Amino acid sequence: MNRASRRPITLVTGFLGSGKTTLLRRFLARPEARDTAVLVNEFGEVGLDHHLLQRLEEPTVLLGNGCVCCTLRDDLVRVLKDLLDRDQRGDIAPLARVLIETTGLAEPAPLLFTVATDPMLQHHFRIAGVVATVDAVNGQLHLDRHPASWKQVAMADEIIVTKTDLAPPETITLLLARLRALNPAAHLTTAVLGDVDPSRLLTPRPVRGAVTRLADTAQPAPPRMAPPTAGAGSRHAGETRSLCLSFDRPLDWIAWSVWLSMLLHAHGEDVLRVKGLLNVGATGPVVLNGVQHIIHPPEHLGSWPDEDQRSHLVFILHAIAPDDIVRSLQAFQHLLGAYPTVDDMDLHL
Amino acid sequence: MCVLCWQFLSEGHWTEQQFDAQDAAATVTAGNAHERSRRRDRYHRTRVLNQILSHYGLRLDDWQSRSYVLSDRKGSTVMVRDLGELWPAAQQLARRQLDPLDPQLLETLSRPGPAQEPGA
Repeated sequence: MNRASRRPITLVTGFLGSGKTTLLRRFLARPEARDTAVLVNEFGEVGLDHHLLQRLEEPTVLLGNGCVCCTLRDDLVRVLKDLLDRDQRGDIAPLARVLIETTGLAEPAPLLFTVATDPMLQHHFRIAGVVATVDAVNGQLHLDRHPASWKQVAMADEIIVTKTDLAPPETITLLLARLRALNPAAHLTTAVLGDVDPSRLLTPRPVRGAVTRLADTAQPAPPRMAPPTAGAGSRHAGETRSLCLSFDRPLDWIAWSVWLSMLLHAHGEDVLRVKGLLNVGATGPVVLNGVQHIIHPPEHLGSWPDEDQRSHLVFILHAIAPDDIVRSLQAFQHLLGAYPTVDDMDLHL
Repeated sequence: MCVLCWQFLSEGHWTEQQFDAQDAAATVTAGNAHERSRRRDRYHRTRVLNQILSHYGLRLDDWQSRSYVLSDRKGSTVMVRDLGELWPAAQQLARRQLDPLDPQLLETLSRPGPAQEPGA
C-alpha cells in the first residue's frame, strides 16, 4: 500500500483540562467526522458519543535500550488491528481516518513510534500530524511547570489555543508569542469551545508548517514573552530552544542523513523536533519530519510550494545549545555541500 | 523509524531512501538503473562515513552492496546493515560516543585536506 493510500492518523494531545475532549466533541458532530475512528484513553466527564469510539488502556512495552520515545504501545497496535479487521470484514463503514486523544500527561512520541514501526500498521496507517491544545488561561503555568506540556507543544504540527474567551488579551498575546517561539514550525490558531476549522484536525500539514512559519518571519515580530513564572519545573522549559536554518545550496542527501542519524544517535532524546523542506538537487523538495529518535519516512514532493527553493529546517532542542548545531553544520559544510544560515533562534523558552 | 531500534523496521532505514533527480513520483527507478544508483549511493555513503570514522580510528568498507564491514586498527570487525546499526557498533568499537557536536571531531573536519573535498 503506497503512502497516499494509508489511512491518516491524527494525534490530539494537550495538557489536562486544555480542551481536547471539547475539541473532539465539536468535531464529531460535523459531517466531516463520518468514517473517523476515535481512540481515547479515558471516557471523561464530557461524554463523547460516536459509533467508532474505542478505549486505549495504555499498557506499554519499553524496548531494551530504555529510550522513552521508542516505547511500543501494544494497546494501540491491538485496537488499530481490530479496526482494520472490522473494516475489511465490512462490519463498519470504510474507515477513512483515525483520531487519537492522548492523556493529558502523555508524550506523543511512543504513539508515533508504534505506528511507524509496527510491521503491519506501517503499511495501513500514516501519521497525518499532531494537534496540541493549550489552555489560554493556564497555558503559561503548564509550560513552566510540566515538561509534558512543552513536549506536547514542541512535537505538534498544529497548536490550538483554547478558552480564549476566558483570558485577557495580553495573556493570550504573550502565550501565542511563547508558543510561536517554542515551536516555530507549527501552525498556530485559537478556538472558543472547540470551534475550529475541521481541516485542522483532518490535515494538520506537517509539511507546509515550517514554510508558513518562515514566511511569517517577514511580519512584525510578536512581543517578547514575559519571563517564565518561577516554579519547580521552570528549569525544564527554560532549556528548550528552537533554531530555524536555511542552506545556500542544495544539500547532499547522503551526507545530510549521515549527519542527522549521527546526531540522533548521540542526542535523539534532546532533539524534540526536526522538521523542514530540503533541497537535495531533485525536482521538488524532500520533506523531513522527526520527533526525537523517530524519523518519518522522508517524502519527496513533486514541486516547491513557492519560489524559495532553499532548504529550510527547524530544530526544537532540549538541553542542546543551538550554537552547537550551527557549529557542527558549519564544520560538516564540505561534506554537506552547503553552508547553514541562521534565520531565527529562540533561547530560554 | 528509530535510529536506536532499527531491528523492528520492515521498511529500509530512512537514510537509504533515494530521490530521483528528475521525477518525484518515480522514487524507485526500475531495474539496472536503480541498482547502479543504489551502488553509487553506497560508495558515496562509505566515503562520507570514513571521513568521520577515521577521527575515531575506525574504517568502513562496503561488503557486496548488502552490508558494511566496520573495523578498528586492532583488526576487530563488525558487520552492520545500515546506519541504524552502524552508530551503536562504532560506539562499541571506539569505546566512546560518536557525536557530531564533539569539538575535536569538528576541528578534524575543518582542517584543510581530503575532508574538505566538496560532496566527497
